Amino acid sequence: MPHESPRSARAYHRQIEEALNDSFQRRTLDKFAVEYRASRDKVFEEVDGRELIRRIADVKDAAAQHIEELYAQFKTEAEKRGVVVHRAADAAEAREIIAKIAAENGVKSIVKSKCMTSEEIGLNAHLRAQGLDVCETDLGEWIIQLRNEGPSHMVLPAIHLSRQQVAEDFERVTGEKQDREDVQRLVKVARRELRPKFEAADMGISGANFCIAETGSIAIVTNEGNGRLVNTLPRVHVALTGLDKLVPKIDDALTALQVLPRNATSQRLTSYVTFIDGAGPCAKSPTGRKMLHIVLLDNGRTKAAKDPLFSQVFRCVRCGACANVCPVFRLVGGHRMGHVYIGAIGLVLTYLFHDRQIAKTLCQNCIGCGSCKDICSGGIDLPALIQEIRARFGREDGSPLPAKLASLAMKNRKLFHTLLRFANFSHRPFAGSDGFVRHLPMVLFGKQGFKSLPSLAKKPFRDMWPELQKGAGQDAGKPKLKIALFAGCAQDFAYPQQLVAAMKVFAAAGVEVSFPMEQTCCGLPLTMLGESKTAADVARQNVAAFAGEYDAIVTLCASCASHLKHGYARLLGDDAAAAAFSAKVMDFSSFVHDKLGLDSAVVAHGNEKVAYHASCHLCRELGVKEAPRALIRQVAEYVPSAEEESCCGFGGTFSAKFPEISAELMRKKLAHVTESGAKRLVLDCPGCAMQLKGGADKLGLDLKVTHISELLADNLRDAK
Amino acid sequence: MEKSPSFDEGTVARFVERAEAVATKVTRVADGAAAEKLAAEMLAAEGSEHVGVVRVAKGIADTGTCVVVTDDEETRLKTMLPETTVFILKAEDIVPHLADIAPFLRSRQADGRVSYTSFISGPSRTADIERVSAIGVHGPLAVHVILQEG
Repeated sequence: MPHESPRSARAYHRQIEEALNDSFQRRTLDKFAVEYRASRDKVFEEVDGRELIRRIADVKDAAAQHIEELYAQFKTEAEKRGVVVHRAADAAEAREIIAKIAAENGVKSIVKSKCMTSEEIGLNAHLRAQGLDVCETDLGEWIIQLRNEGPSHMVLPAIHLSRQQVAEDFERVTGEKQDREDVQRLVKVARRELRPKFEAADMGISGANFCIAETGSIAIVTNEGNGRLVNTLPRVHVALTGLDKLVPKIDDALTALQVLPRNATSQRLTSYVTFIDGAGPCAKSPTGRKMLHIVLLDNGRTKAAKDPLFSQVFRCVRCGACANVCPVFRLVGGHRMGHVYIGAIGLVLTYLFHDRQIAKTLCQNCIGCGSCKDICSGGIDLPALIQEIRARFGREDGSPLPAKLASLAMKNRKLFHTLLRFANFSHRPFAGSDGFVRHLPMVLFGKQGFKSLPSLAKKPFRDMWPELQKGAGQDAGKPKLKIALFAGCAQDFAYPQQLVAAMKVFAAAGVEVSFPMEQTCCGLPLTMLGESKTAADVARQNVAAFAGEYDAIVTLCASCASHLKHGYARLLGDDAAAAAFSAKVMDFSSFVHDKLGLDSAVVAHGNEKVAYHASCHLCRELGVKEAPRALIRQVAEYVPSAEEESCCGFGGTFSAKFPEISAELMRKKLAHVTESGAKRLVLDCPGCAMQLKGGADKLGLDLKVTHISELLADNLRDAK
Repeated sequence: MEKSPSFDEGTVARFVERAEAVATKVTRVADGAAAEKLAAEMLAAEGSEHVGVVRVAKGIADTGTCVVVTDDEETRLKTMLPETTVFILKAEDIVPHLADIAPFLRSRQADGRVSYTSFISGPSRTADIERVSAIGVHGPLAVHVILQEG
């Protein structure tokens, strides 16, 4: 049986703790994450990746809508060519079908090539229970079979193991001493040991990457060469795959083949792509023809195809890239980031195909950084799917208490803001003079103690507004631009200085600023907690509050910006006022750099060494990359640091749910910044600021962490 | 007067570069006779247990791929079991892009035809142990392409 998947938060945290202490896996996955990015970027240089991904998405979306027609056409064409096509409603039926094929053909031994669908249905255990000899022949799968484990990655199933561990397993199976360092030699052991198995096997089981309806053919994508032996040498070949692998045309497979190997292993094409169309000649078969069976598995797929949101899973080509770029996977490994399927798609497929309780636990462990969505071969909006799963659990099982309370409080802006003021009042005795909570014993924080927490500001921004308004922009004659400022809770109540700094920049550059008092939380935390109804209520309040005539609605929070810009359409549907609102929303850096422009009469260039942290919501959700870096260069010496676009570990409520993971991500980020030699780190998001300011303080680093607005304000020529 | 070549040199050069990038050895020869001669020498040097010689139907430049008709088991096994595969490919049979191979594949699969088509790009490989790249797992350890220009 594969690894034990967690059914409760408590069990899960225990497993995460163990994974974090697995230093081999940590080193391996760290190295993999960095090298994968570099080699993947290189192999995508020569193709239009975005366009190919869009085409894959279109083809697969259409396939999901026409699944029955495609299946019927595929079956007709394949059967014309001597293939038997089976359809299995669920895992149990698929297991039965394959066991029956084995029995009817007098099969004793089976060789397998890599097939995630067989892991999905637990095929090996079932066949062994029938007395069959089943041998995995993909090197990684063979290794984990020897250890009785499940894959920890969809493409690299044994990535969690060291060569020494592999050598030990090989010693056990061969009874011979093995070289513990030389990987090339270990690979030869597999060749030598498995060759006789291929020769002796009665049946080969493979997966299929594509099932092409127009000709009834299947395509299999491999590197090791075991796949071709599996489907050639034995007299019976069973190809097991999901209904989601059906595509209409040969051309569709060729399109996807330009992305799948590039995304999976940074190859232009894998060593082998095999197109099998029909039951060809076979010397070992009594009929002289191969006995070829294709088993297409449903197991929740046709139900998913009918769901407007979850039908996106049909776009998955199982490249594994969503794991490769996931900051959480990188820390905890695949056995803790999936059940059978691994990575972001693994969380979703666990919910659709497997165990709800496991899915409920695992789906909490998405930080929402959007890296998977950005890299997915089919452009699946994986974070949105995971968020929706949380929301469904919220609706079906009743919300957990914190989500309910948040929902209750945020529905009513006055109540919510009163609560925030009360929180401020009540923790005031513990606040230090430097903006952090200083006077509570750390024991009270438990695992949350990895960063210093900000104290709420003595005076929220909204209370400063009447004062600020007097000096803001309006006195300098006709303004260049008129904007409305969206504050967001974190800046309004915890970091008003970031907004005050922005006001100075706006004043110097001749921008007239309004601050609609009826604005409230953007609602993103509610969406994250699965409280979508209240999130929609809150969204409507904000749209109404910003109904005036403005050149732009500017926010200094990247998370708010991405939610106001993209999230509201999802929540409110076709609402003209909401669409007009969203169209006007701009993040601070884009507004200042792209729309306003700061000339050298307004800002000076200082010599400060400044590093940049690219917030997930800014660089991926909004695709803003150049504006903030250009602004830094305008006023300071921009020092690049490693992995600028990787997540800081905050993730809103994530840092409270998974402090052990959040802390590791924060330390890694701050280590990269420290190595760059920068004395200041700037960012575009108060959430990231909370994480990294608090972390730098806790670790005692000589590093100033500020919003980019503060960097600009500090370098204004005329600091009034 | 010199005969103009029947292939596009840019496409062929890209095939060679991309094939070599996946550890395929490419030798360019003038014509069919030279190709046969070289293949026979390679076969004689190691013996048929260790070398499989197979003709290639199409090449794909972008990926350095040999597209091989392997409907019969014997041809297929020649590209699987021996340590070395020797392919003979005509330069004029190389198409520029992966998508360009669709008409060829369709002609092999249309009208109820039974077929097995292999796309082979270099020797067999794995990175399953510590992501260390290793060549020659279950399939060939070496792939040679004899590229026939005339």
